[in-house]
Amino acid sequence: MKRDDKADWIQSALARYQGTLVRYAAHITGDSEKARDVVQDTFIRLCKQKPSQIEGHLAQWLFTVCRNRALDVQRKESRMEPLTETQSNSRASSEPGALRLLEQEEATSRVMQLLEKLPPNQQEVIRLKFQNDMSYREISQVTELSVSNVGFLIHTGLKTIRQKLPAQSDLGSKAIRRIK
Amino acid sequence: MKINPNDPKLTAYALGEIQDDNERAAIEELLEHSEEARQEVESIRAAATLLTNKLRSEPITLLSERQQQGIASKSQHQSHPFLHLARSRWGLVGGLAAVACLILAINVSLLGPERVAPDKQIAQLEAPTLLPTSGSGSGTPSVMEEAKPAASLYSANKSLPTQPGETPSASDERAQGPQPMRKEKRELVDAIAEPLAARVHPQDRSKTSPPPPVQGTALSSALRFRESAAHVSPAAGVPGGVIGGIPGGSVGGVPGGVVPGVIGGVHVMSGPPSLPPLSAPVPPDIAPGQRRRGQDFNTESYDQIVDNPFLEVTQNPLSTFSIDVDTASYSNVRRFLNRDMLPPRGAVRIEEMINYFSYDYAAPSGSNTFSVQVEIAQAPWELKHRLVRVGIKGKDVDLAKRPPSNLVFLLDVSGSMRPENKLPLLKKAMRLLVEKLGENDRVAIAVYAGASGLVLPSTSCEKKEQILASLDRLQAGGSTNGGSGIKLAYDTAVSNFIAGGINRVILATDGDFNVGVTNQGDLLHMIEEKAKSGVFLSVLGFGVGNYKDSTVEKIADKGNGNYAYIDTLNEARKVLVREMGATLITIAKDVKIQIEFNPAEVKAYRLIGYENRMLRDQDFNDDTKDAGEIGAGHTFTVLYEVVPGGASVGVPGVDPLKYQKPRAITSASASSEMLTLKLRYKKPSGQSRELMEFAVYDDAKLYSQASVDFRFVAAVASFGMVLRDSPHKGNATLSSALELAIEGKGEDAYGYRAEFIGLLKKAGSIQR
Repeated sequence: MKRDDKADWIQSALARYQGTLVRYAAHITGDSEKARDVVQDTFIRLCKQKPSQIEGHLAQWLFTVCRNRALDVQRKESRMEPLTETQSNSRASSEPGALRLLEQEEATSRVMQLLEKLPPNQQEVIRLKFQNDMSYREISQVTELSVSNVGFLIHTGLKTIRQKLPAQSDLGSKAIRRIK
Repeated sequence: MKINPNDPKLTAYALGEIQDDNERAAIEELLEHSEEARQEVESIRAAATLLTNKLRSEPITLLSERQQQGIASKSQHQSHPFLHLARSRWGLVGGLAAVACLILAINVSLLGPERVAPDKQIAQLEAPTLLPTSGSGSGTPSVMEEAKPAASLYSANKSLPTQPGETPSASDERAQGPQPMRKEKRELVDAIAEPLAARVHPQDRSKTSPPPPVQGTALSSALRFRESAAHVSPAAGVPGGVIGGIPGGSVGGVPGGVVPGVIGGVHVMSGPPSLPPLSAPVPPDIAPGQRRRGQDFNTESYDQIVDNPFLEVTQNPLSTFSIDVDTASYSNVRRFLNRDMLPPRGAVRIEEMINYFSYDYAAPSGSNTFSVQVEIAQAPWELKHRLVRVGIKGKDVDLAKRPPSNLVFLLDVSGSMRPENKLPLLKKAMRLLVEKLGENDRVAIAVYAGASGLVLPSTSCEKKEQILASLDRLQAGGSTNGGSGIKLAYDTAVSNFIAGGINRVILATDGDFNVGVTNQGDLLHMIEEKAKSGVFLSVLGFGVGNYKDSTVEKIADKGNGNYAYIDTLNEARKVLVREMGATLITIAKDVKIQIEFNPAEVKAYRLIGYENRMLRDQDFNDDTKDAGEIGAGHTFTVLYEVVPGGASVGVPGVDPLKYQKPRAITSASASSEMLTLKLRYKKPSGQSRELMEFAVYDDAKLYSQASVDFRFVAAVASFGMVLRDSPHKGNATLSSALELAIEGKGEDAYGYRAEFIGLLKKAGSIQR
């Protein structure tokens, strides 16, 4: 591949994926600025790859690398300011403002609040599934969970949300009553 | 298999994630019997839709302009010696790197916002790029290395307190460590980056103005049951156009104008389970979907197809479906075979393979929109069965006298379209079409990538050079926001609408929509809405590797459209030049077929292909139900495999009912008619309904008496069944298909059938 072609390829990948990757990484790092750094780093790694080896599964590659970078960064940060087990648990599960940067108008949305109360691993697979339109198989490759594990997490997360969601016009109230 | 309503499988089913046929069948059986399970699926889908809409409308932050430039400069110097040096150096320094970066970060932040010069910022922003990946200190990181297991997720630092509007002073910052600085730095960078970002990506600038919620609520309408319409139009006063006595056929006229009552709501798809093949099963001589070793990983996507089963006439007297004149599956299968691969099963849609070829059907007489002819002979793969071939031809329109046209080309120019067989081929193909157009035609060109835009406003084809020059200038680059491009194209078509003319959006894409409205359900919903404007759609599929056949086919289906796959310039010539009328001029829309079989003559039947076009029997008379469109001069062919009534072959039946008598047969069943075929459609503009009705007799032809076209169709069907490894393929093999194809080659003016014969041979060589 010629140099120009490669540059174009990177540019097109950048244009296509940077926004969704920053959004995704911000949920791992908890900070969109760190997320942007992670995403920049992800793309710089992409520059070192041969397009022929990645074409066809570009999205999976980007999400996988981005995820691992974000986890690296997040681990380093947590070393700097260690939290006890109880602290981290209570924050992860009861802090709806944790994603302040991203919430904006969703702050009022019940379903988003419920989502943010789910365990992190359920949140992540739900985001990959519904926000990034990945199949169970693709999620399994990005997260290194088994496909059935992914299915179970999504099932459990959705079930929790459905049980707590108030009867809304777009959810059959009959169905809701029955689940409760 | 037992499934509990609380099984994760039910969630997987609701989200379209069940890959295994048997599993899906088991779940569908459960749904049939359990109200609770049905409600559960509905509730899951509703929650999924809600989540999807909320999550997709979350604002997106882009990289800063400087970060993007940093990447751009790296992308041009991928083998720069400095990088290798930097990598190995950091590899040696190892754990010190993190400390170094930390120091750098503190130094920069101490400068305070007003003193951070742009070049310092580069240092700050690029610093993390020099961080070594733990565990991969040397060499180029591969996917596998990158994909190392991740232990814990989501540290608590995301919940570090950051009060909105509160900017900590410098001393506070130092006291708290580097953490809260980030917020300040973020604001600073945003201030610089935003205006630039806004210029580059006007649509993605969601930070200050969140994108509007996406239209529609369906997670994926493909997953949904057909919604029952709120009202059913009365089928009164249907002008029954009856054609009798078609030469060479055995079609008798039936007094038309009367639609017999639909018997019970018999859903064709929910009939008794598939009957086993009536002959001893032959070991599969090919394993479709099996890839040759060394094949590249690819992300082409195909929906699974389950062959229509044999249905007993006494329980399922009616067979109802929407016509489909798409041809894409054949070109796509051809592409696989030409690359020495067998196509995946889901890529083989037998009706599209059959309809790729044109057959010698008589043109409709007088003012009729369609002619219908039927030929029945022994099924070559199971001689005890009858193969019913229904050939339908649409009225041709003299291209010289065609109505004026208003065409909008919507071309995907995203980065994925760069390869030679995509955008360059697309440009040549569109050129062919433009050259055929004249002074009464108008063309607009819209493109979509990261952003969509109108490259050429609607322009008369008197200024052909201008149109061709715009085509030539197109270049690939950027991401694929198909959703907003489709909106723009339809809006352009509507604002240049020619009443009584040809109004059509021609979408050329590899179907890989990735930004914007990418949720397939929303996209399809939007297209369905847009189609109501009276603008028709043609979809031309291009490319390999990440070709999304399933998306593209559904778009064409929802958009009152047709769909062709263009893999060569020759294919472009077939679709856009030789069959231009069929591609551009719609002569009938919402074309549905319903066949009633006579239980006195037919024991069981099976529709070959059209699996994703099945309709409920009551939908036939429901004119709000969308169905397929037919272009000028289009021919299409429907095949049924029929088990004759008197056949001694055993069709395992069910026990006699305890509470009901078998349905009484009418005196008409003694007529020796095999079946009655009804064709229902609308004129392209307007809602007036038309109905044609034909009674068909079996004249007991032997296979040896069948026509050339009949043999060729049988060859194509055999090939399709073998590629799909259909449970109903009987004695069909590649070599029997080849024999049939050679007998059925006929005149073959354009060499299409010769090419088919070549493909059959090719498939045989791959197998070995």
